[in-house]
Amino acid sequence: MVKKKVAKVLAFRYKILALIFIILAGGLVLLPKYKKHEGIKPETLLSNVINPERYISTDNLAHKIISKDPSILLIDVRDEKSYANYTIPNALNIPLNKLLDEENEMYLDQDQYDLVFFSNDNFSADQAWILCNRLDYTNIKVLKGGINEWFSTIINPAIPSENMAALEFELYNFRKSASMYFGVMYPEQIKVAKKPEAKPVAAPKKVITIEKKKKAPAEGGC
Amino acid sequence: MDANYKNLHMKELEKTKRISIAVTLFILVVLIGVLSFKRPKNLYYFNTTETLQQLASEDLFVSLTDINNTDYVLVDVRKSYDFDRGHLENAVNISSSDILEENNINVFTELQNTNKTVVLYGKNPEEAIAPFMILYQLGYTNLKVLPVENSYNQNSLETKLVEVEKYDNDIKTFIAESVKKATELSVQKVIPPPPPPRKVITVEKKKKAPAEGGC
Repeated sequence: MVKKKVAKVLAFRYKILALIFIILAGGLVLLPKYKKHEGIKPETLLSNVINPERYISTDNLAHKIISKDPSILLIDVRDEKSYANYTIPNALNIPLNKLLDEENEMYLDQDQYDLVFFSNDNFSADQAWILCNRLDYTNIKVLKGGINEWFSTIINPAIPSENMAALEFELYNFRKSASMYFGVMYPEQIKVAKKPEAKPVAAPKKVITIEKKKKAPAEGGC
Repeated sequence: MDANYKNLHMKELEKTKRISIAVTLFILVVLIGVLSFKRPKNLYYFNTTETLQQLASEDLFVSLTDINNTDYVLVDVRKSYDFDRGHLENAVNISSSDILEENNINVFTELQNTNKTVVLYGKNPEEAIAPFMILYQLGYTNLKVLPVENSYNQNSLETKLVEVEKYDNDIKTFIAESVKKATELSVQKVIPPPPPPRKVITVEKKKKAPAEGGC
């Protein structure tokens, strides 16, 4: 008699428990809404984005390429056509619309290289950077001014006018030699290269003999 | 027999008691968790892949002639200092570092609810892309960018329309041309006269004076 009663009460309790668990499980249905919230918080993203530290200047990049810095990896985020026409030497092409494709993840989500994103200016590259930063990919920089800035500073640097500071000339000289490194040729460069060929085989030596002082006759000894 | 049954019954009761306590505790923990869960203020609406797909299919820009459209609300994302020096007509200033502040978010939400389009502009188009991308990922799709460059000429604002992501100079051709020009020039040029022969001055060593007479 009692056994039956107890079993009844117990069954009721278990039913309530089961109900509570089902309700709790129902809460899981609400979770997918938060799944969209991948990556870092919007507030953190914003503070990262307004920080100009993500930019690398064209001079700095040129210097790194010329000194064969092994840590740098260039990513061209323009489309394939622009990439085929001209790109900075040794750059990889990951067009912006394919940025988040699975096969590109290994290039972006790593900490071995310093990635440098670039596009024609830095509009697309910034977009790519913001998406990658949200996914918390580190070591990514954006080339300030992009390919257009690259052209006007490195490939075709403006000659400083006479009254400019010496520093400007120094910068110009660096940029000019950088442009030579990237394939640009200057007329005077050829002249310099030809010079050794024009050198005469052997210039006659003019010998100026310095007359020897006549030896003073041995002066008497003791 | 009866004692045996009673004993079993007690055991059963004790077991349920323990289960009940455990369950109560568990539910308590869950309740505390739910109550103390603070909903993040700003949540992304799109994940990165969705954002990328949608951006690719959309025209992000409006032209300068369209900005008088009454459905457009101009938002200047520069610093308030720059905004005070000069800004486009009817623009409001929400600097990019402040876009996630509550009252600004409310402004964007209201504009979205009233079907207005927010047109962002900054010093240059690149400056507007950061607030654009963040707001877009939060779900504000009523956004455009005004591709302008703003500069000051004696304290009056000059706004210039620019084309974004335009390939200004064909670098490949430029390099090829420079090589061509340089080689052509070197062919035309008469070989420069050889440098004057170097004068070599040989200085003969003084001969060691022979030992002069000693004793």
